[in-house]
Order: sequence, then structure tokens, then C-alpha cells
Amino acid sequence: MVVSAKPVQPIWCPGCGDFGVLASVKKAASQLQIPPHQLILVGGIGCSGSIHNFLEINGIHALHGRLLAQAVGVKLANPELTVVAAGGDGDGYAIGMGHFMHAFKKNASLLYLVMNNETYGLTKGQASPTSQVGFEGNVEHPFDAILTALSIPVPNFIARTFSGDPKTMTTVLIEALEFVRAHRGFAFVEDLSPCVTYNDTYKLWREKVQDVAKLDGYDPTDRQVMFRLCQETRQKGKIPVGVMHRPAASEKDEVGLEKILLPDGVGPAQSDIRLEANLEGYTKLLRAVG
Amino acid sequence: MTTPAAEIAPTVHDSARSPPRPAKTLADLSVMIGGQGGDGTLTVSDLLGRYFRKQGLYVYTSRNVLSRIRGGHADASVRASRQPAAAVKPQVDVLLAFDEEAAELGHKELVPDGVIIYDSSVFQTSLPNSYGFPFATLVGGQVGQPIYKNTAAYGALSVLLGFDEKITNAVIEERFQRRGAEALQKNLKALAIGRQAAEAVPDLPHRWEVARGDAHDHILTIGNQAVALGFVVGGGRFFAGYPITPATEIMEYLQRYLPPFHGVVRQAEDELAAINMVIGAAYAGVRSMTSTSGPGLSLMTEGIGHAGAAELPIVVADCQRVGPSTGQPTRQEQSDLAHLVHLGHGEYPRFVLAPGTPQECFEMTVDALNLAEKWRVPVLLLLDQALCQNTTTSPRFDLSRVHVQRGAILTGEEVAKLTEYKAYRFSEDGISPYAPPGTPGVWAEITGNEHDEWGHVSVAVPNRLKMMAKRMGKLERARADLPAGNFFGPEEARVGLIGYGSTIGPIQEAQETLASAQHLSTRLYQPRTIFPVPVPEIDPFLARVDVCYVVEQNYTGQYANLLRESLPWHHAKLRSVRKYDGHSFRSPEIVQAVQGGV
Repeated sequence: MVVSAKPVQPIWCPGCGDFGVLASVKKAASQLQIPPHQLILVGGIGCSGSIHNFLEINGIHALHGRLLAQAVGVKLANPELTVVAAGGDGDGYAIGMGHFMHAFKKNASLLYLVMNNETYGLTKGQASPTSQVGFEGNVEHPFDAILTALSIPVPNFIARTFSGDPKTMTTVLIEALEFVRAHRGFAFVEDLSPCVTYNDTYKLWREKVQDVAKLDGYDPTDRQVMFRLCQETRQKGKIPVGVMHRPAASEKDEVGLEKILLPDGVGPAQSDIRLEANLEGYTKLLRAVG
Repeated sequence: MTTPAAEIAPTVHDSARSPPRPAKTLADLSVMIGGQGGDGTLTVSDLLGRYFRKQGLYVYTSRNVLSRIRGGHADASVRASRQPAAAVKPQVDVLLAFDEEAAELGHKELVPDGVIIYDSSVFQTSLPNSYGFPFATLVGGQVGQPIYKNTAAYGALSVLLGFDEKITNAVIEERFQRRGAEALQKNLKALAIGRQAAEAVPDLPHRWEVARGDAHDHILTIGNQAVALGFVVGGGRFFAGYPITPATEIMEYLQRYLPPFHGVVRQAEDELAAINMVIGAAYAGVRSMTSTSGPGLSLMTEGIGHAGAAELPIVVADCQRVGPSTGQPTRQEQSDLAHLVHLGHGEYPRFVLAPGTPQECFEMTVDALNLAEKWRVPVLLLLDQALCQNTTTSPRFDLSRVHVQRGAILTGEEVAKLTEYKAYRFSEDGISPYAPPGTPGVWAEITGNEHDEWGHVSVAVPNRLKMMAKRMGKLERARADLPAGNFFGPEEARVGLIGYGSTIGPIQEAQETLASAQHLSTRLYQPRTIFPVPVPEIDPFLARVDVCYVVEQNYTGQYANLLRESLPWHHAKLRSVRKYDGHSFRSPEIVQAVQGGV
């Protein structure tokens, strides 16, 4: 057995919501029996983005906000890999917002996991895109990524979980991973992951989370219904959690970008680039040049 | 249908009106075509280029267009010569003007007996040797759409220059066949109209001709196409980019070329995404590239530094245009050199390569891919607008000169023999053998943070020092692998010239003029590796000359400054010849600089 990089101790504060995420990711990967060499975690910048260091898998630490672009590059280069991008709300919804929106549109089959703590923890508690009005003098309005995700009509998987409920989170992550491993497209899971040091919301969120599956009319295949349910829940001062969107089940739904570009499953990483393997094609290509 | 005589009556202002003369044979001809954007100047230039190519001539076309879809002054020039000449000819022999502005601007560049052909349905002129034909009116009336006036003008030029009729037609067929039978017929009709009109002028037909050449097995291409082809045969399989002049053609060619080889080409949402998608693909073990120009390069600088720190092999082609900021998107400049050399915050190794011809673009893109993967560094291709977009006759690209050298990539079997796999293992040459993610049995941490051999974040002092030495030492250790420069002219010459990229064409032409007209022998050095500065190659060259002119297209003399910094003992010999008006050098400018001693 070749010795590979061993996980290191998390840098997180005791009680950090990200521990719950780490445990759920481990459980989901083990339950799905994903071999560590085939699981790629692209980490963002911030406390949460360091999660790849604490797992026994392939990890790449991306630039701040650019993890989705790197993750799409990995997936399109090697469609056989299971790709997870993970980072925080600042990373994803502030500096990475452009890539975030385009990830839904691209619909490459990878899981994007955002650990939302409504603050910039690593830089000591500044307001983030999801911070409530009044937090650290914040006068801007908080951003709700789930509503944005629901507004983009692409058959993605969308969910919100809470670190205080690791069991549900594991179930959701398993479904999300199965979704991307079946080349069905992009999966987005926002986890409410409190920062115990700068924005300890455990108690508040435990009181406020509302499982959308328990609401009348819950139908995650219908975006309009889910948009309305989420807004109504917010208006009642609650935070909607649960599976917000999943396309109607169908075996033929291999609509991930990598499947559209590489229908036979042979991608750049599988391509034989030796000159001798391509002589005929290259000769034809060069002969066609004016 | 016959053409009423009155309708085709040409307007002739021939100051040297004389009996018909025999055709004057030129070995080197330049035709300038000017008008409003959308007049079809580029089409005429393309048609002429195709014709001359069929005559075995060396062709060089340049364009001078504005950054807008239609309108505004646009011109193109086509040079056809028996000898290779990758430069704009100093003077114009024939001017085709679709509007008055084109005539006003173009006639100043004409040789004394130069001819002007113009569209008299748009304007009138009394410039000497001018022949007006109402192209737009004629074509509008007989073909139905004045848009075909450019093909009619090509017909008139074909008469002036004594073109073979069959080949002239074949060029039209070749060019317009793809547009369908109707478009082809309309173009052939427009061609006949232009031809007939010109033939009616007594002393116009076959006034000049260009002797046939022997460059028959050559191709007509642009640097951007050569880069795209080099990327494919060099094993490149992932490309992400964002549209930007003058780099976009690389992405467009690859969208056509790459999919049959299981490659992926993506147009990203911005340059930040493009470079990071490329980084992701490189991490996955795939040869990856992006191309851009100044403004995009500024955005990609963040990502290139990340690849430098994480030791991920990427290739970035920078098609330089006029900067700073949005600058002049369609114009020629070489002002990104210093940026590429110093690119990014912090310190990391990078190789900057500068091809000077399409053939070098092809071969050096392969070099770039090999070097990036072997040394695990970002490799930057320093290109320029003229090299990227000017059509040039080039020898066919030769697969026998292509070698795909993959570097230390670990396969599953090789990995199985290891006791441990460290993605950043310390080694004598600074290269850590790499097992791409997905290799059975191993996994790793890859990061832009300073890290230890395992890829774990580290702030330990001894590790930091060793890691910096590992990465930065590649600049010295890779020297023998980097493309050697080219030298042109006698070794014993006491006057040196230095140029890179597209400027080597006009410099070589200046060398010929200096040798023949001034009896001044010069030696030209064309660096093909800009960084790390190949001091061992440049030092003996500079030692042999008394003075050396560094010819480049920027304000500050960026390469001259780099040489002064790297070879300070030759400081006094270096003279800087600079141009930053958005146009390529013409050889007389370089001749003058050398004569004047700058």
C-alpha cells in the first residue's frame, strides 16, 4: 500500500458547524463507497474551504472565489471523477458570485457545498453577503442563495441543510452525490454552519429552521411552488431547509455538461495524446490548412 | 445581359497618359484596400491572397480595422513577393479605395507610378493615375445587391494585374462555394462586371504583373491558427477562453479542431473562470491552455500565480494589443513583455517564449506544452497582434518536428512500486513526479498555500526555504530545454539588431536594405526565450558587436531594459528603437534608426 497524504487536524474552533459537514461528507462518501482516489474536493478560501485537508481524498485548494471554475475544469477534463467544491458564503456569494451563477447555467455534474455562517470568520467576523441587517453594522440586505438557485431554470439539485441536524445532512449529501455521479447535472447544497466565535447562531437557527417537506403543497419538482414556499417561510421569520429542487426522476436524465460534451464518456484525461496514436487525424487536420 | 456603355464609363485621371505600354513585371507587389468597415476590404484582401498563393508567391496581408462590427475606416494590405517577406511593404503599388477617406489616406503611401482604383459611385477624385468605376451602382443594378462591389473590384484588379482568368474565377469559387450556389453565382457575375469595366479602359489591362514564385507547397495562415494547431498536435486537450481581440481565433479554431480528439473547449464567463478552468484541467493531468490579450491577462494574473505556486502546468498565449486598459483592441503593440516577465504578486518561476512566425507559433506551442509539463510551471507565449492575425505564407507545418514529451507523470503501475506518494517531493531537479487525481491507490493535496512535500500547509522556515529553492531553481535548471534564439546575417557584422515576435519580418527587410543600399552588414538576434533571459546566448552576440539596436513596439523599451538589467556590462552598446503608434514597423523606419544611430 502506497502511503498518500494523511488528513491533518482541522483548524476550526471547537463547536464549529463545519465539523458537522466534515462528518457528513465522510459518512456519505463511505456509504456510497467512493474510492478516495476518485473523490476530488476543491476547497475555497476561508475556514470552511480548508475541509479538503481533513479528508483522506484528493484535495486542491483553489483561489478565493474560483473553486467552481476549477471544479468545472476538473470535471470536464476527467468526467469519471466525483468532484465536490466546498467553501464559505463569502467565497461563493461575494468574490465568487459570477462563477456561482454560471455554475447553474453550465450544469456540470459536480456538488457545490457552501458552509454558510453569515460572516467572514477567518478574517475575524466582518459582515458577509448573507449577514443580517445590523450584524457588525451591516446595512446591506442579506442574500438568499436558494431563491437565486430556484430562479435559474436548469434541472439542478438544490437543497439547504443545517449542521445542527447532521443526520438529515448526510441523507441530503448522499442524494446530491448520487445525482452528480449519475451525470444528472449540478448539485448545490447550502449548509447553515454556525461560526461559534463570531456569529454563534446555533440556538437561533435551531428555533428557526423549517423543514419544507412538512409544508402543504411541497413539490421539489416544481420551482414556482418551492419559490413561494421559501418566501412564505422567510416572511414568517423562519429559515427553509430541505430539498428545494430535484428534477423528476428519469433514467435518461444524463444532462450534465460533461455528458453533453463527451457523450461516449471519453474525456481529455482518457484521450491518448501520443503522436503515434493520432497520426492519421493530425495529418488530415494539417492537410486541410489553406 | 449587356452593360450599357454609359453605365460602365470609367472616370480616368492619368497624368502620364501615353500609348499602351508593355506589362511591368514586379517581384514584389503591394495592394492596399480601404473603405468603411463592412465594405468588404478584408474579402478583397483574402481573394488577392488566395490568387497570389496559387501563383507560388509569398503572401503577407495585414489589416487595419476598428473595434466595431461595421463602419469606420478600415484598410487591409496584401503583399505578394517572390521572396519571403513577413512585413508590410514600405510603399503601396496599387490602391483600391471604396471611399474618399481611403483614397486620401492611401495615396500618400503610393509609389510614384502607383495606381488608384476607386468606386466612382461613392466619390470622385482627380488624384493622378486614378481610375474610377461605379462598382456599387453597377453591381447594385445587375446583381441586385451593391454588397458584391468588392468582388467587382477584385475583377478590376485582376485586369490591371494581368491575372489568369481561370485562376481568378477559381479563387471566387473556392471562397464562396460554402455560401451556396446563389451567392457563388452572384459573386461570379460581380467579378465579370468588374472585369468588363476595367477592360474597357485602354491602357489599364495588364499594366503590371507579378512574376510567378515557387512557394507552391506553402500554406497561407495566421499565427493564431498555428497556435491552435500546435496545441492539438502537442497533446493539448482542454482549452477555456473568453472572447477578446486579437486572441479569439485561437478559441474559434480549437472549437473546430479539438472535439474529434476527445478535447474540450469552453467559452468561460470571464477570464478569471477561463484560467481557473484551465488550472482545474491541468490538475486533472490534462494538457491545458488559454489565450487572451492585455485586459484578460490582467485578470488571469491571479490564476497564473496560483498555478506557479501549486506547480500546475498551464500554457497561456498572450496576443498583445495596444494597452493600457482597453487601449486599441485591433492594433499592434508589444507592451505586455515586462508584465509577463514580472507577472503576479510574490515570486514563482515562469517561462516566457516568443515565436516570430506562424511556423514557430506551431512548433513553440508544442514546446510550451512539453516544458510546462516537464518543469511543472506556467509557460507564457508572448505573441502580438500582427503575428496573430496577419496572413502569412508559411511552410507546411511538419509533424516530424513534433515531439510530445510528457515529463514525470506517474502511471498506476509506477505508483504501485512506490512506498509513499508526495506530490511535492523534493528532488535534485526540483521536479516532483505527479500522479493525476484518479490514479488508483494514491491521492494528494495540491495548494497555492506554501506547503510541505505532502501538500500540507506549512509555515516552517526550513521547508519554506527549500520549497522556494525547489521552485525558483527551475529557472536556472531548465535553461538547456528552452528554445534557442535565431541569428540572421553575417557573424562578423559589427552592428547588431534585436527583435522578437512579428518585428523580425521588417527587421530582416531592413537588414537587406542596409546591406544593399548602405553596404552595412548587420546581425539580427531573435530571442525565442524571453524569460529566463538566455544570458549565455546573448552575451557572446553582444560581445561581438559595437552597437546593438533593440527594435520593439512599446514606449519604454521593455526588452532593452530587461537586457540592461540582465547584462549590465553591455549597457553602453544597447540602443532602443521603439514604436507605439499601433502600426507595425516598416523597414525604412528601422533603416533610418540605424543610420541615425538613434
